Amino acid sequence: MAALEISGLRKRFGGVEALAGVDLSVTRDAILGIVGPNGSGKTTLFNVITGVFRPAAGRIVWEGHDIAGHPTHAIARRGLVRTFQQAMSFPALTVAENVGIAWARRRMAAPWAGPDAILDFMGLSEQSAEPAGRLPFGLLRRLGLAVALATAPRLLLLDEPGAGLNEAETAELGELILQLPGRDIGVCLIDHDMALMARLCQRLVVLDFGTKIAEGPTRAVLEDPTVIDVYLGHRP
Amino acid sequence: MSGRVSGRVASAAFLLLLVALPWISPSYRFLSIAISTGTVAITLYGLAVLFGQAGLMSVGHAALMGVGAYSAAILALRLGIGFWGALPCAMLTAALAAGLIGLPSLRVSGHHFVIITYAFCTLLTIVLTNGGDATGGASGLDLDPVGRLFGVNFDSVRNYYLLVLAALLAAMLATDLIARSGYGRTLRAIRENEALARAVGINTALHKLGAFMLSGAFAGLAGVLQAYYLRHISPGLYGGLPSLYIAMSVMLGGARVLYGPLAGAVIVNFLPEVLSIDPVDSRMAYGAGLVLVILLLPGGVIASLADLGAWAAALARRTAGRWTQLAQGR
Repeated sequence: MAALEISGLRKRFGGVEALAGVDLSVTRDAILGIVGPNGSGKTTLFNVITGVFRPAAGRIVWEGHDIAGHPTHAIARRGLVRTFQQAMSFPALTVAENVGIAWARRRMAAPWAGPDAILDFMGLSEQSAEPAGRLPFGLLRRLGLAVALATAPRLLLLDEPGAGLNEAETAELGELILQLPGRDIGVCLIDHDMALMARLCQRLVVLDFGTKIAEGPTRAVLEDPTVIDVYLGHRP
Repeated sequence: MSGRVSGRVASAAFLLLLVALPWISPSYRFLSIAISTGTVAITLYGLAVLFGQAGLMSVGHAALMGVGAYSAAILALRLGIGFWGALPCAMLTAALAAGLIGLPSLRVSGHHFVIITYAFCTLLTIVLTNGGDATGGASGLDLDPVGRLFGVNFDSVRNYYLLVLAALLAAMLATDLIARSGYGRTLRAIRENEALARAVGINTALHKLGAFMLSGAFAGLAGVLQAYYLRHISPGLYGGLPSLYIAMSVMLGGARVLYGPLAGAVIVNFLPEVLSIDPVDSRMAYGAGLVLVILLLPGGVIASLADLGAWAAALARRTAGRWTQLAQGR
C-alpha cells in the first residue's frame, strides 16, 4: 500500500469545484510530479492534504490513518509536510533560527545530525546568522526547503519549488531534491517547469478542472495526446 | 568600555536607584506615583510577551487587571482570603478570563482580535457596574490593608513600594526568560509567519491562547497590587480608556526590549503626574506622541535609543580613528 492514499477527494469554493473527486496514491520511493493548467486544483490538493482546507468529501489516508480534516500542525507532526508557492520564512529571525524552530518540532528521526547539517546540505551555512528577510530570493527558496527538511518529514509536498528562480538556480535546487528519496524522504511536487519535472519525476499526474486526466510514468504522460492538448500545447 | 559592559553598569545603577527610591524620594506623592506606575508596568510586561513575542495586540488589558482586582476584593469579602492568598488566585482568574476571551476571539487575527479585546473591556465595565452587591455596583468595593507577613508591615508606603518593585523585577525577569526560551522562539515564529509556523508543526491556536492567558496572569498580579494599594476599586479603573493607555505605553516604550515597557509606564504614568502636567494637555501630547512613535520609531523609544547609542559609538570610533591618523601625521 502506498504511503499516501487519496480517494474521492472533493473541495468546492463557491460555485467552483476545485477538486472534483481526485484519487491519488503517493509512494515514498519515487518522486511524483503533479502538473496541470493554472486553476486546475494542484495547490488546492496540497492545501486539502495538509489540513489548510477541510475536504467536502473523500478520504486522505496517510500511513494507515485517515487525516482528512485534521489540523495542519498535527499532520506535519506525522511527517507529512508541505512548502509554499510563495517563498515563505520567518523574516525577522535568523536563518539558523528559522531552521531551529522547525527542528525543535520534529517527531521522527531525521537523516541529518542537526540543523547545521541541513543548512550545510542546502548551501546556507554562510548565511546562518543573517535575518531570513534579507536573503536574496534564490536563497530564500532554499531556506523554505531547509525549514521543511528540518521537520524530519517522511513525505514532502513541494509547491512550485522552482518558481521565480533562474535556470541555473532551478537546476541546482533540482539536484538537491533528487537526493531526498535516498535519504528516506518521499517527494511529491508541483511545478510548471517541464524540463525540471522530466528530470526529477518518475511518475506524473495531470490535473484539469479538479479531475485527474492522466497518470503514469513521466515519459508516457508527456507524450499522451490528451495531456498535450489540454496542458502542454506542443510536444516537449 | 564595550557596549555590553556599559549597558550592564547602567542597568545595575538604574536598579540600585529603583531600590533606593524610598529613601531619596522627595515626597510621599512621588513614591505613591511610583507605586501606581510599577503596578501598571507589570501589566505592560505581560502585554509585551503577547505583543512583542506573539505579535498580538490587546486593548483590553485594563479589564484583565480588573478581573484580578475584583477577584481579590471578592475573595476577601466573601471568603476572608487576604492579600497573599488572593495573589495566586487572582492571577489564575485573570488568566482564565483571558482564556475565555481568547477562545472565540483568537480565531480571527489582526485588528479583528484587537476590536474584540476592546469590546470585552467595555462589557466588563458594564457587568461590574450592574453587578449589585457582588461587585458593589458603580461605587465599587473596599479592601482591607495588606497587613504583615514574616513580621514586615506592608501598610507603610515604603514597604509597599518595595513589594511592588519586587513583583515588577520578577515580571521583568519572567519576560526576559520567556523571550530567551524555546517557547519565546515559538511565539516569534507565530508572529513572523503563522501559516509557516503551522506547516512546521506548531499548534498556533494553542500557543496564541497560552500567550494571551500568560499575559492575563501578569495583569491579574498587577490588578491585585493596584487594588490593595488604592484600597478601593470601581469599574471606571478598568474600562476602555485605561486599556488604551496600557496599549499605548507598550508601543511607546517598545515591546521587544527589556526596559521598553518600564520606559512606557514611566512616560505615560509617572512623568505627567510628577511634572503636574494638565491631564488634557498630556492626553493630547500622547496622542501626537503615539502617532510619531508608530511612524518614526516603530520599535519604541528604548530600542531607538539603543540604535542611537550604537550610531554615536560608531561615530566616536570613526572620529577617534581620524584623530589618530592626523596625530600620526598622515
